[in-house]
Amino acid sequence: MELKYYIIRRLLVLIPTIIGLLLLTFILLRAIPVNDLIANYVNQKATPAEKALEKQQAITLLGLGQPLPVQFFTYLTDVANGNLGNMYSAYYNGGVLRGIELFLPVTLEIAIFTVIFSVLISIPLGTFIGSRPNSVSDSVGRVFSLIFYAMPIFWLALMLQYAFGKNLLFLGSYGLPINGQGFPIQQVGFVHNHTGYSYSVPTHMLFIDAVLNLDFPLAVVAFEHLILPVLTLSMTVLAGLLRFIRAGMVDTSNQEYIKTARAKGVPEKLVLKRHIRKNALLPSVTVIGLLVAGLLGGAVVVEDIFQITGLGRLSLAAITGTSGNGANIQFFGVAGTVLFFGLILMLTNLIVDIVYAFLDPRIRY
Amino acid sequence: MIVEESKTEKKKNLKPYVEVKDLVTQFFTSRGIVKALDKVSFSVYPGEIYGLVGESGCGKSVTSTSVMDLIPDPPGRIISGEIYIDGFNIIADLNKMARIKIKSETDVRIRRYKKAIKRHNNVLSKIRGDKIAMIFQEPFLALNPTMTIGDQIMEVIMLHNISSISNSILRRENISSGEVRNFITEFYSINDETQKRKEVNNFAASYAIQEFEESILSLLATSDDKQYIENEILNMVRENRTGMNIQNIREIKGYFDLQNDIFQNTLRLLQAERNGDSSAIKQFNSELSKLKRIEASSFFLLRLKLKFAYKYVMKEYRKEARRRTLELLTLVNIAGPEVVIDSYPHELSGGMQQRAMIAMSLASNPRMLIADEPTTALDVTTQAQILEIIKDLNKLIGMAVLFITHDLAVIAETCNRVGVMYAGNIVEESSTIEIFNDPKHPYTVGLMSSVPRADKKREKEIKLETIPGTVPNLITPPSGCRFHPRCKFAMDICSLKKPKLVEISERHKVACFLYSDESEVE
Repeated sequence: MELKYYIIRRLLVLIPTIIGLLLLTFILLRAIPVNDLIANYVNQKATPAEKALEKQQAITLLGLGQPLPVQFFTYLTDVANGNLGNMYSAYYNGGVLRGIELFLPVTLEIAIFTVIFSVLISIPLGTFIGSRPNSVSDSVGRVFSLIFYAMPIFWLALMLQYAFGKNLLFLGSYGLPINGQGFPIQQVGFVHNHTGYSYSVPTHMLFIDAVLNLDFPLAVVAFEHLILPVLTLSMTVLAGLLRFIRAGMVDTSNQEYIKTARAKGVPEKLVLKRHIRKNALLPSVTVIGLLVAGLLGGAVVVEDIFQITGLGRLSLAAITGTSGNGANIQFFGVAGTVLFFGLILMLTNLIVDIVYAFLDPRIRY
Repeated sequence: MIVEESKTEKKKNLKPYVEVKDLVTQFFTSRGIVKALDKVSFSVYPGEIYGLVGESGCGKSVTSTSVMDLIPDPPGRIISGEIYIDGFNIIADLNKMARIKIKSETDVRIRRYKKAIKRHNNVLSKIRGDKIAMIFQEPFLALNPTMTIGDQIMEVIMLHNISSISNSILRRENISSGEVRNFITEFYSINDETQKRKEVNNFAASYAIQEFEESILSLLATSDDKQYIENEILNMVRENRTGMNIQNIREIKGYFDLQNDIFQNTLRLLQAERNGDSSAIKQFNSELSKLKRIEASSFFLLRLKLKFAYKYVMKEYRKEARRRTLELLTLVNIAGPEVVIDSYPHELSGGMQQRAMIAMSLASNPRMLIADEPTTALDVTTQAQILEIIKDLNKLIGMAVLFITHDLAVIAETCNRVGVMYAGNIVEESSTIEIFNDPKHPYTVGLMSSVPRADKKREKEIKLETIPGTVPNLITPPSGCRFHPRCKFAMDICSLKKPKLVEISERHKVACFLYSDESEVE
């Protein structure tokens, strides 16, 4: 029962946090000169007089002449009504919410697979090296995790691309498909929207949809496309987790209650499994939440390098916003994608906190 | 104040339950080798409380952890010595487990042999908790924070007592009127009231019907009709049957009995290897492989089930273990055991935690308990209650206790015999009454005169005396007798040779050149 109220309380706290997030992005974006903000609405080839008129019209249309608090309130009302505005770029034209709906699942798919993959690898590996501190395997594991933790994602992505995709290290002349294009789309339940973008149903995540529609050839192709991006993103997450689990294992095995367990006659294997590992993994749950933040930042880079049609590229397109008249920042595009990145982060941390409260009896809520 | 030494004479012919001989434990640190224990020898007899007393940092806790071979490695290791628990030397394979090369104080190379260490740990895990249990100084740190008290106690039962649980379940399921009749006639043949209680207790325990103990007692007290009592008891037991899968329990019992056989065989094999008896080694080896073949062939499915669905397969046992746990918690005077069994350590007070620790250490009916400063972290009233529990258990179950403390008052209240430790040596060993009335070693004398006492009048000084100086740094301990830099009576020989612990009067041993010229052979 108590846990239920804790979850409700945490959800309510989300509301002011979201308003704060919106305020911050709004202030930062409004600091951009008005000329740049409305560049989309002005025909640059027109005469100066016409330009001035168009400018004036755009300012009235967007309400930029009103006091800032009023502007912010209008923006808030629009967001609450689900109207996140439009954006124009070479990557995507149209409603921002629609764009997020299209591209967020792709990013989520990568993120989910990354988290699953890194957790599955790092827990047994961390248990293994953490149970033999200062051994050879421990040293090797520590060095490698430090290297991968420090390695820039873009570099790692390029190197993996070079090794597996282009330079054909051991995958023959074809290599792995390294970009998000070339799906045999007619096989799965795809839906085309009015702007010409196609997406799969029901989850919008290609691999999962293909499996759900029992279209296994497509699932294989989709999975191949996931391998390199997930591997790239996993390396940092995995390395961070591994270091943390290892430290937790070493710390826990020096605790007094481990001595008690041995004094009770618990065999070594069970001491490791039941007493050390369970306690060592608790703090790592929090770390997973923190690492997801880094993962979202990495997703932008990875999506750009691997040409994946995800939310990261949408936000990148909103910032660089190339549309006809040169580079113009897309106010609504940036605000919308930042809002969603923030939402994902908050929800992840909420889930992590709830899981932690569930796992650790000492947490009072 | 001081416990009467009553059974010392009787003990003379007894075999000690735990015997420690020339135990040397060292810690290899970056600053040098800490010579924590230097040839410590003592023995604890069944049914006695043996106290170890001394200043902080003189090696009391290292001694207790060494007895269970729980010294954390690295940095520590038992270097040499013998520890007999119930006649079995647990550290006979020291040389097989690791080879230590000492190049200098700070440069020590240890080569560990994994296979031998694994076997050693396997053997020890069957001895620890089963034959000898331990409670620790700070119960809050010594209890696993993420497991309930009940789970932690049940863990011990599930590790060591499966066979006895199986037996009592089988007995309960197949109870016959003849057995009950035997019990009733047995009961009526006893006249002593406490003996009667014990008889009922035994009966209830062996049929796993402890919750009916009270009703059986009242039944026996109120009625004289043997036939009626017999039927009532039979009904009680039969109603308590839960329709368990007897076949399943038989199979599990068979498996754990086989495990026990394998363990006993391993012990015999180890003993034979130590004696260098090649024909016996051959015989035990072939027997062991035969048993292992049986294990692999006839229990393959059960082992698979145990591995993946342990909780489900063992659920009847867990139920029994839970009942035993409740009983244990009642035994150590915990109020509301039904609530405590499902609570986590942080929800209990310090005294409750220590009681839970004691319950845990009693779970498998060990014949010896090591209590490593069990009352130091507790307030005085709780301290008294905990001591009372330990003393009661010693009297009721006849459990031997190795009691470690720096509190002389606690020693006086609880122990039969006392060993005084100083800087990794036992310097004096005697009965409690004698050590308080007639301390011999200058260190013991110093300790005694630094405690305010009500039973002795102080003629001259009102001020409490202290022993000058502190416990020496054990990386570079003083030569000869380790106490000589602080000793009032130090002589020339004291810094040259190490005195031997010799018996100067009956059951009173002292290691000091004031009383004997014998020195330790280097």
